Amino acid sequence: MSFDADVIIVGGGLSGLSAGITAIKEGLNVILLERGEYSGAKNVSGGRMYIHALQKLIPDALERAPLERPITKETYEFYCKNKKLTFSFEEKDKKNSYSVLRAKFDRWLASEAESLGLLISYSTLVTNAYRENGGITLETNRGTLRAPLAIDASGVTSVVFRYLGLRNFTPDKWMLGVKEIIKTNVNLPESEGEARTIVGLISGVKGGGFVYTNKDTLSVGMAVTFDSLPKSEVPAKDLVESFREKLGIEGEVLEYSAHAIPYYGFKNLQQLYADNLIAVGDSAGFLINDGFTIRGMDLAIASGMIAGLAAKKIVEMRDFTKTSIYYDMLKESFVLKHLELAYSRFELINKGTTLNIYTEVLCDLLSDMFTVTEDRKTLIEYALLRLKEKGISLTQAIRDMISAVK
Amino acid sequence: MIPLLKRLGLNKYSVDQKSHIEVNTDICLTCKNKPCTVSCPAGTYEAQPDGRIIAHYERCLECGGALVICPFGAIKFRFPEGGISYNYG
Repeated sequence: MSFDADVIIVGGGLSGLSAGITAIKEGLNVILLERGEYSGAKNVSGGRMYIHALQKLIPDALERAPLERPITKETYEFYCKNKKLTFSFEEKDKKNSYSVLRAKFDRWLASEAESLGLLISYSTLVTNAYRENGGITLETNRGTLRAPLAIDASGVTSVVFRYLGLRNFTPDKWMLGVKEIIKTNVNLPESEGEARTIVGLISGVKGGGFVYTNKDTLSVGMAVTFDSLPKSEVPAKDLVESFREKLGIEGEVLEYSAHAIPYYGFKNLQQLYADNLIAVGDSAGFLINDGFTIRGMDLAIASGMIAGLAAKKIVEMRDFTKTSIYYDMLKESFVLKHLELAYSRFELINKGTTLNIYTEVLCDLLSDMFTVTEDRKTLIEYALLRLKEKGISLTQAIRDMISAVK
Repeated sequence: MIPLLKRLGLNKYSVDQKSHIEVNTDICLTCKNKPCTVSCPAGTYEAQPDGRIIAHYERCLECGGALVICPFGAIKFRFPEGGISYNYG
């Protein structure tokens, strides 16, 4: 049986396009299937990209890519009932991460890929996938396609893996991301932007919210685990509105969007490869939350690039069961190394109760220190008292602190 | 608060003739908490007085949540042809 291409990539987001660009540069015959009318029509992201991987994919991307603003200010806000703890960190001229609007960005990246010769078939929906004659057959709304190697870049729902029965999803390993784009006057020079991380504003849910400064809009949203949504003070359909109103952000709403976010952590990652098949980006579950950074896009680009290089090796070997090459290359790259590095903190943050309780302990402790009466204790006495109130032993607190700095 | 339908109206939809979401409403009769009704960001799932769920599939934001929302596997979801497009992303 003849194949339609060396590699078929499913999904024209960051990981799929990065895989496509790399594979084309390696001289492979590639088809990319995108279900949207254009790249970026379907995907949703919080809107902040760490750009080191992009600069490797396209070295002059900073000059040409439609990025919004460099993030030069980080603000954390923790709400505990009537108390609020907030801190900010500014670093002028920092160009490590940018706010992005994916409908613009992905469209640009797709045009870059097309100019390199990547064949992208838009409005193409994969409706089934199965193995046949040493390859994978993809049924789509535009006919059937076959390839000895498929790269699943379809996002968190991993369509190819799912149709082959290789995925098992649970609500505690997925987050719901909901976002609005708000038109506003941003009173900042163009070379500055802010990322706000907000925890505890909506009670009941496990997760938090964000506000990213774009050129003349704000990306305002929340990411919370699906299993915590039934305990939320507001239903999911009002989550971001309620969050925005509590923050007092006003302005014309330009977009309302939502998407599931993979939230596995290094030790819980699902299968990353199978015979004839490789998972990249969200489809592989590559998301890092280490408390300081929340990253998915740089991991998507890098894993896509690695998949493109691995595809070349696999095609050359003419053995399409050797997809573990991709995993070996991932292990050598920052992708799996960073995921592993972040795991202890990821796990600590994922214990939603721990995070909420420590925030409350800290709020109460600060309240103690800022309250002066005749009865005054030492800081350590207050700390032990507040921990005891929450039922946390000193040993547990120290153990958690060590996980936090690991 | 801006009403949900107004917010959903900001996006571009190309809705299929046939729903891309199927609900086994007999299972819904036995479900008390109905997590789908509070977990969907598009208010797609609405409980009827008799306890069955109807799906407003034309509202769907294609977040994929349907694949994990229902603890009883009563919701079958596939991505639609066409469906939603976002302007800003």
